[in-house]
Amino acid sequence: MALPYHMLKACGGIVFAAQGTDIHSFSSDLKHISTWKYPVKAVEEPSDATPDVQAPPTPEGPPAKRRRTENGAEEKAADVEAATPEATTNGRGKGKGNNNNNNNNNNNNNNNNNKAGVINISNEKPFINCLVATTDGRHLVAATGSDKTIWVLEHDGAGNLKQLSQRAMPKRPCSLTLTATNTTILSADKFGDVYALPLLITPPSAETNEDNSSASTPTPVSLVSRSATPAAPIVPFKPQADPSTVHTKRNLKALENQKISMELSLKQAAAGQANEGKSGFEHTLILGHVSMLTAITTVQQDGREWIVTADRDEHIRVSRGVPQAYFIENFCLGHEDFVSRLCVVPEYPNLLLSGGGDDDLFLWKWKGGQLVARADLLSHVKKVVPEAEKLAVSRLVAFSSGVVAVVCERVPAIFLYKLTETTLTHVETIPVGDGTPLDVEFLSESKLLVGIDNNTTTSNTAAPLIVLEKEVSSSTWKQTPVQGLPATPPSGDDGEEATKVSPEELQKLLYTTESLRKLSDFD
Amino acid sequence: MGVKKNKRQKREEYRASMREEGVATLPRKKFYRQRAHANPFSDHQLVYPPCPEQMDWSTLYPDYVVQDDEPEAAPGAAEGEANQETTTPAPVRPKRLTQDVEVADIGCGFGGLLVALAPVMPETLVLGLEIRVSVTQFVEDRIKVLRHQNKDTGLYRNAGVLRANTMKFMPNFFKQGQLSKIFICFPDPHFKARKHKQRIVSTTLNSEYAYVLKPGGIVYTITDVPDLHGWMVQHFEAHPMFERVGEEEQEADPLVEIMRTATEEGKKVERNKGQKHVALFRRLPDPVLP
Repeated sequence: MALPYHMLKACGGIVFAAQGTDIHSFSSDLKHISTWKYPVKAVEEPSDATPDVQAPPTPEGPPAKRRRTENGAEEKAADVEAATPEATTNGRGKGKGNNNNNNNNNNNNNNNNNKAGVINISNEKPFINCLVATTDGRHLVAATGSDKTIWVLEHDGAGNLKQLSQRAMPKRPCSLTLTATNTTILSADKFGDVYALPLLITPPSAETNEDNSSASTPTPVSLVSRSATPAAPIVPFKPQADPSTVHTKRNLKALENQKISMELSLKQAAAGQANEGKSGFEHTLILGHVSMLTAITTVQQDGREWIVTADRDEHIRVSRGVPQAYFIENFCLGHEDFVSRLCVVPEYPNLLLSGGGDDDLFLWKWKGGQLVARADLLSHVKKVVPEAEKLAVSRLVAFSSGVVAVVCERVPAIFLYKLTETTLTHVETIPVGDGTPLDVEFLSESKLLVGIDNNTTTSNTAAPLIVLEKEVSSSTWKQTPVQGLPATPPSGDDGEEATKVSPEELQKLLYTTESLRKLSDFD
Repeated sequence: MGVKKNKRQKREEYRASMREEGVATLPRKKFYRQRAHANPFSDHQLVYPPCPEQMDWSTLYPDYVVQDDEPEAAPGAAEGEANQETTTPAPVRPKRLTQDVEVADIGCGFGGLLVALAPVMPETLVLGLEIRVSVTQFVEDRIKVLRHQNKDTGLYRNAGVLRANTMKFMPNFFKQGQLSKIFICFPDPHFKARKHKQRIVSTTLNSEYAYVLKPGGIVYTITDVPDLHGWMVQHFEAHPMFERVGEEEQEADPLVEIMRTATEEGKKVERNKGQKHVALFRRLPDPVLP
């Protein structure tokens, strides 16, 4: 089973395609140039006591689920165990999900670990879930899912990538974008926060660490005061209640216990310091929603920049650009289900297109939050999938002329829409033969590159990457598979590892949009 | 188990009798108790409008509904030029009020502050927001009775309560700069550091308070937890859109005294001889674009 190309990005004359954990580059005539591979061993990982050379399935264990610091030791212990199931003895003490760990067989052991939220094998394929390029094409920024890491890759202009930095974020990034100056990465995460990170980092020194900790106290420009920020200095636990605020006997007793545990936590603070060093890179909390963020983009007008964020709770928020990101310019409200994608068409910088779980696509004048037009999408989806009752927009990709390609999850077609200053209209539906499209990218207005999930079809012969080209004579779209794709597994045991994802896991990793829908909508 | 069922039965009987008798007596709290904590991140079965223009306030403030509203003249005005003929018809615009809600009590609980504020500012619409269902129901019943008892003076017509998750959906209810006062009284302290994002005050959430407040509007906070007080002060002061109101001005504000004494929690703290920490913050004018 081959992994599909689930994320495409054209950048100058080069096309980048993410396949699982790897990024391939292709020339404009779609000849494979090179491949950047997810490093087997996380570079950042501190050399803890675990000799995890024999653990290729979980190479980036500890950073994957970095929870409370006091749990760190536990997780690491569990990690070793997952990797070497023979070692059933572990030194874990109190903990919730690990009461019957000692005398289990291997399978059970793994299950237990999963429940404890330690290692989930399917989670441990850190698929690339965001891919953006700077406008000059010199840098590529990617984010991987389960290890919450943002990667900055340098592009030499000819398709070769070199890894510059890797930064593990406090929460899983859901969407990335770059500011107009190409100097700052904006990362929107699952927790609702948006962080600004410099694209290029100066090597961490004692001085920058100093900066970080001082920046984590509230300052007028940055909003880094949240305690969840890992850059915050580790403050020893101190009970916030005092005998004047608790009144019942039981609570007073609990307070006593907290005071006892405070002393314990002081000891743990030392261990925490080590943890702090690990994530000590510059990242500033600039704004946040109380909801999972799904998309972030920047928009420009009159030489100024605004940040647009969309969340699972139907909101689209327009905030000012970085020094004033604390100021909400307005909201674009009207969606009645999650918003999953935002898109700005270069030709119409004052318009914003949004899509998600609603039946329609929405076109906004983002400044002012005015709804310009709504265009029905569900009826077109129904023509392809007659039994469809709802849809989940998984990609909105714009071409400069105002044409937008729309991909809906598990719908084997690409929908083209055309927008003008005041209208949004469906142009045509391009059926895609085998499998469902995952991502689409414009090579020109009449030439589309499509990444296909061919594992859903019975015939496994369908090409994972196809080109759709509009024939001038018949104005139909000709479908040609891209030849000469890098063989899977390309080389080494790492590639082999990547293909070991079970079909169910793969589905979960590739189709994440529909799961944003609220359960109450089903009943 | 039997006890529990009994309790529920009693509740149901009580509520049924409340419905029948209607407005004779004030509701009793013991039939409306609910666990004090609600997870603001989960998708409760909430009802909220997609945008403030589609919020129907007429059921909350029936005495303020615009009479002789021009018959559905301008659904397009609120909706913009939604000119795609293929789309669903523009939703029917709800009845308008003669004025907008201007004072919000976020997490109003059993509504002590709400019913104290309403007679003090009879010209202003005061809204309580509460995430717990039964507690909201209590306040609803309480307002109903109070309105009935004060039929001749017309008091409490300006008080309303809404079940809502303010942390998530405030911009769905209020337009930009609609509010002049926000009360945050004795919020859940969320002691654990892990739960600090659930606190009702955080620097990122303060941006939303700044959005719904008009320049010069005031956020009133009060708590009996010194650390939470410190947290709220720190986070509001760190936010470039807010400044703390000075001690003198704070004490001169008559609403501060009401907030100290009228909230249910405030009374409880009083009984327990706890401390009360008050802090007011003013919403500054919009920053100039750089």
